[in-house]
Amino acid sequence: MRKSIIYVMLSLAVLPGCLDIKLESQFSDPYAITTVATARELLASAYNSIPRFQMEFSILSDDFVPTSYASKAADLSNLYRWQEKAIDDLSSQVWNSYYLTVAYVNALLPRLDNVVPKDESEALEIEKIRSEAKTLKAICYFDLLRLYGPVWSEGNADADGIILKNRLELDFLPRSSMKDCVNEIDALLSEAASVENDGTSVYYLSSSAVNALRAELELYRHDYKEAVRIGLPLLEDAEGRWTPTDYDNLWSGNDSRERLFAPYIFNTFYVGLNYDRDKGDYFALNSHVIYDEGDVRKVWCEYAGPQEGVINLGKYNRMYYENTDVRYINTIRYSGVCFTVAEAYARDGRPSEAIALMNRYLGARNAVLLDEGLSGEPLVLAILLEKQKEFVGEGIRLFDLKRLGKPLVRYGSAGNSTSVAPDDYRWLFPIPASEYRYNDKIVNINPGWPKQTVD
Amino acid sequence: MKKLLPLIAAFVCFWANVPVCAQDSGRPVVAGRVTDSNGEPLAGANVYVRGDIKNGTSADVNGYYFLVLPDIKEIFIEASFLGMKPYTVAYTGQKEIDIILEDDSNMMEGAIVMGKQNINDVDIRSKSGVISTVDVKRLQDKPVVDMSVALQGAAPGLVVTNRGDLGSKPEIRVRGNSSFREGDAANEPLYVLDGQVISSDAFMTLNPLDIADIKILKDAVACALYGTKAANGVIEITSVRGTNGETMVTYSFNGGVTLRGRRGVLMMDTDEKLELERRLQNVNAPGYFYSEDYYKRYYANSPDLERMIADGKAKLDELRKTNTDWFKELLRNDFYQRHNLSVRGGNSKTSYYASANYSYQGGQIPGNDVSRFTGRISLDQALGKKGYVSLSVNGGYSKANSPNSSSYSPTTLVYDLNPYESPDSGELWSYPNRTYDDLFYQFERTSSEKRFGATGSLNWEPVTGLTVAGVVGLDMVLSESQDFTPSTAWEEQRSGAPEIERGKLSRAKNTLTNVTTNVRVNWNRTFGKHDVTLGANTDYYWDATDNMSITGYGVGLLNTASAINQSIEGNRKVSTSNLKEKTAQVGVGVLAGYCFDDTYDIFGTYKADASSILPKDKRWNAAWAVGAGWSIKSYFKDWEPISALRLKASYGRTASLAGVSPALAVATFQYLEDSYGDRRLLELMALYNDRLKPEQTVSAEAGISLGLWNRVSLDVGYYNRVTEDALLDVPIPSSNGFMTMRRNIGILSNSGIETAISARIVNTEDCRLNLRFSLAYNRNKVIDLYDGDRLYTSEYSKIPDFEVGKAYDVLYGPVSLGLDPMTGLPVFKGADGSEIPATGTLKREDMVALGHSVPPFSGTFNLSFTYKNFEFDADFYYVLGGVKAYGYTYVRDNDDANKNAVRGQVQNMWFEKGDQNKIYHTPFYSSAAIENLTLYPNSRSIGSSDYLRLSMLSVRYRFSQHLMQKLGNFFKYGNVAFQASNLFTVTRYKESDPESGSLVGAQQPVLTLSLSLSF
Repeated sequence: MRKSIIYVMLSLAVLPGCLDIKLESQFSDPYAITTVATARELLASAYNSIPRFQMEFSILSDDFVPTSYASKAADLSNLYRWQEKAIDDLSSQVWNSYYLTVAYVNALLPRLDNVVPKDESEALEIEKIRSEAKTLKAICYFDLLRLYGPVWSEGNADADGIILKNRLELDFLPRSSMKDCVNEIDALLSEAASVENDGTSVYYLSSSAVNALRAELELYRHDYKEAVRIGLPLLEDAEGRWTPTDYDNLWSGNDSRERLFAPYIFNTFYVGLNYDRDKGDYFALNSHVIYDEGDVRKVWCEYAGPQEGVINLGKYNRMYYENTDVRYINTIRYSGVCFTVAEAYARDGRPSEAIALMNRYLGARNAVLLDEGLSGEPLVLAILLEKQKEFVGEGIRLFDLKRLGKPLVRYGSAGNSTSVAPDDYRWLFPIPASEYRYNDKIVNINPGWPKQTVD
Repeated sequence: MKKLLPLIAAFVCFWANVPVCAQDSGRPVVAGRVTDSNGEPLAGANVYVRGDIKNGTSADVNGYYFLVLPDIKEIFIEASFLGMKPYTVAYTGQKEIDIILEDDSNMMEGAIVMGKQNINDVDIRSKSGVISTVDVKRLQDKPVVDMSVALQGAAPGLVVTNRGDLGSKPEIRVRGNSSFREGDAANEPLYVLDGQVISSDAFMTLNPLDIADIKILKDAVACALYGTKAANGVIEITSVRGTNGETMVTYSFNGGVTLRGRRGVLMMDTDEKLELERRLQNVNAPGYFYSEDYYKRYYANSPDLERMIADGKAKLDELRKTNTDWFKELLRNDFYQRHNLSVRGGNSKTSYYASANYSYQGGQIPGNDVSRFTGRISLDQALGKKGYVSLSVNGGYSKANSPNSSSYSPTTLVYDLNPYESPDSGELWSYPNRTYDDLFYQFERTSSEKRFGATGSLNWEPVTGLTVAGVVGLDMVLSESQDFTPSTAWEEQRSGAPEIERGKLSRAKNTLTNVTTNVRVNWNRTFGKHDVTLGANTDYYWDATDNMSITGYGVGLLNTASAINQSIEGNRKVSTSNLKEKTAQVGVGVLAGYCFDDTYDIFGTYKADASSILPKDKRWNAAWAVGAGWSIKSYFKDWEPISALRLKASYGRTASLAGVSPALAVATFQYLEDSYGDRRLLELMALYNDRLKPEQTVSAEAGISLGLWNRVSLDVGYYNRVTEDALLDVPIPSSNGFMTMRRNIGILSNSGIETAISARIVNTEDCRLNLRFSLAYNRNKVIDLYDGDRLYTSEYSKIPDFEVGKAYDVLYGPVSLGLDPMTGLPVFKGADGSEIPATGTLKREDMVALGHSVPPFSGTFNLSFTYKNFEFDADFYYVLGGVKAYGYTYVRDNDDANKNAVRGQVQNMWFEKGDQNKIYHTPFYSSAAIENLTLYPNSRSIGSSDYLRLSMLSVRYRFSQHLMQKLGNFFKYGNVAFQASNLFTVTRYKESDPESGSLVGAQQPVLTLSLSLSF
């Protein structure tokens, strides 16, 4: 009896076992990211987090005008009117979500070093993942810089840009200069471009997509020759991609050769423009965005909604009306590269090359060709108008408007209008309070914006 | 029928108030009560004739016994109880013998100490530790189905706050929140049943009648034996065990009604509502739409104007015929019942207890109810003369139904629906495009809990003074829930999803498993006046969570997961999730205690625990405590007025890992339900903090106990519990990608005083009157913040959420000077004395402290009165010193004039220039004008949340032995009682419920009749 009791007691005392309990449905360092597959999955979550403000940026631009339902959506109407508070609210969402993607990339990059490849193809895949992650980060920085920084010029090189975040861990950082920001984006893209990546799927960033971005960055920093040099090769077989079928397929779950990069989406997209399927949208197409009969773009850009006399946006908005699931968000397209290169030509004093390229595109779209006699600013404006017609509602126009430096007209509900001057402080998004209020380092806020006082 | 006869007879006797006296008929009998020296009943005490233990009995739950004596000459009646000195009295023909048993501090050598189920309940611990014992008998008298809700007011410093509808878990805190973080994960006490850790869900479903004893461990000395798990206090539960005596079967039944409870807000009748609507001028409300005002305004030139007005009047007259009281219409009276059957018995070697229980309680709103079935078996077996083993198995099944979801609660309709509407109104004015049926059957939740627990323990005393004890236990709770939104629900109809994708169903299964092993060695020896205790233990706790859920659409009207349409793609695609997590903790502890001459004692304990939650380098954390006590009574032994006097003090430090998960300290990833193309999404869960440290709780305690004339006892204790390195999710610069990070941000303290006075006012043979009063005060304060003096958890807040030197539950807001008679909008008082209009900008200095959102004072008043066979008990519970902001959701303005409004709004609302002394601001305003009202509470929009509740009332009649004999000694004991819980709540708070802040959370009164019979 006594012995058995001793055994029982002893076994109880020995029970305390090992405390290195691995999580079962979660994965912690150092066991978390150890294979190529998990690294790709972590990258997938970074891809999935790419911010989606296409609709909001379009409302801020001149893509849309309000309909009679606009007053039913106070937030969107205020945004359309460029109300300070509305932009501030949007700005904090934009800032947070872009930096979340940056954080995911920062989580991935150092952990990639711990992934031991089993063979050469895995080693190559690791390099591709690294390249895509850097591109993703560059995309975020570039969008942020264009929203929060001033328009690029030599004089603005030392102005405040954005915060450059190089690691995942908690940091309290100041804003870097415009020059440093542009250089950082350039460095990220150049490093990414050094890896040959043909992109197995359109929702991953391929070398071509990287080059499209590089061309756009060169145009942004006024290095037009470089923009042409990098961009033009992408357009070699463009006509084969600008077919009506490929254009149609852009707005479906089908493959389209037009796409250079189109993030995959699981959830609903672009549902906020609609007030009621039976009644109509809050905003409709601006009247200067008109398509000629026969223009391939007309079918998918315009949508005759339930409201009489109002032309609504087609694209994702039409897909919502028609209950079609959106699978791809067409983010980088060959037509976009065309506009980049054409604008670079035009600004570089090579109008004929610009017009020739534009007319290749317009011909494929079955649209009216550009006048051969155009040059200088009218040519740039003509190129950007076609760009707006291609990308209407996709949030691209805001960036171009900011560069163009023209007054922006805002229509009121009674047909009255006001305009936002080119030097208006609101062209630079406000640095959100969630940044400067908790940052020990001095984070300069953008001029003109009110600052939350901290006592 | 035959079985019912005695029952009916019992009731007749009770109601006819038959005079009670024991009469001899045949063999002599004796009855009485066994209590301890404090007058507390000793349930299960054995009473027998010396030398004839088989002819014995055991006392019932209230300490009453009844013994039939043998027909012999010299009779000595003996009473015994575990841990008490046996008592013997000579029988000289008394009808009643009350027996008081004294504590047996010096156990006789070789005696087997059965009954101590919890091996951490070391004797020396209770000397300097602060341990409140819950009066379990009162808990059992309370007709409340949920164990944890019943615990409200059970001990000073234990605060139970009801939060939701029937069946939802209340908030349980021992001496306030010990963390800056809110919520159960960081602040919940540890629950221990018979030495084994159980989850709070398991605790909630225990059967109160299976519980012999509940102890609330509050200070460091009491808690330190549990190590780092016990930083928020411990609730130690001991179950009922078998007895050394003949088998007793007890059946008890409680049955009664549940009532709607407090109305809270009186709503308008039809006449007032229509008048309000006319004045609010909203065309979506009939009171304006059919009014003369409306027609004159919009159809002034119409030739049909007169006819229109007449038609409108007729419509209004039609509406006036209806006057629905939605409080009565929507809420209901339901019923309550509890059946309990237990068997208890044993001999000096083996004892057993078994019980089965069924209870049901119906909630206020149809569709809300809780039913529960529990069972328990326990067995104690002596192992020779030096040890014993205990085994117990318990299980339970409980089911709660609720129509309230997080986004939709039909209870709020009480305030929304108009008095001129009825269930057959057709389309409702208050809910345009919807009928009454569209408001109900919108959501259904069924949740159930299946609990299983098994505990085995072994006590062995190989050498006198040396005990070795071990416990192994398993506690499992399987929680299941099914949420169903039918395709016909309004929300689904409006979702835009095609017909075949409508109807949502979620099912979740969560298994929580706790395993405890604990081995303790204790050595206790007395050398003359010196009493020394030494001990050591090692324990291991393992817990696992396994959570599986599925959510799918397209079920239509079928409340089953098998009806999910699996062909749906997109955001209504069926989704599954699983979270499986295991954590373990291993600990080693030592303790030492010394007592001199029963006068001075000191006690110290140290425990080191390693947890799997933190990375290796931070794994080991410590908990230690020291305590000392001084029994001053020994200095004036012979001075009668002071019957007891004792001082004690303690100090301790405990690390706490409450609410810390691995993802907070190291990079942790998990898969999301969505996908990206063909890949799963592996996402970083949080921005981890590699410098995260466990919180450290440092508590100091001093107390005095005083007894006067053996009648009055007074306990006063002061405590100060400081939490260092307190954790909180604090905002970080958002360029880090995450908005918050859990960091060690500062130091906070909870300090307070707990007082309890109990008095035996009357104590005669026939009549006893005991009163008890308790008061607990808790004050929290921010002692330090490591990054500056103030912390704002929102980037837009003007008022810091935490400020050094200030309490952190204070509501701040401006002082309101009332409404401006010209604008109908409030005017606030600026810090410089200026008047700030409603549209003005309020600055930090303009905000004043309006009061504490957590009431700092709480306490109870208990009364027990016994006269012969009658017992009367009442418990009051009160909280004081708190404020709550009013929601004013039932005050209507122009926009929501179509919903019902609070009675008196027509008189109390500002409608036009010159209206003086109004309470409610103008119904015509722009949203910017009331921003200051919606952002902050102000001095006029808060109310005191003080309340006094009659939480328990019990009137019991105990059948006399005479009656029992008349019934042929079929029953040993029996009683009938009227028992009620939450009979009324007195409060100055003007809205629904001062405790939970919502009508859903208001505690309902339960009135029952109960019958208990022992065979």
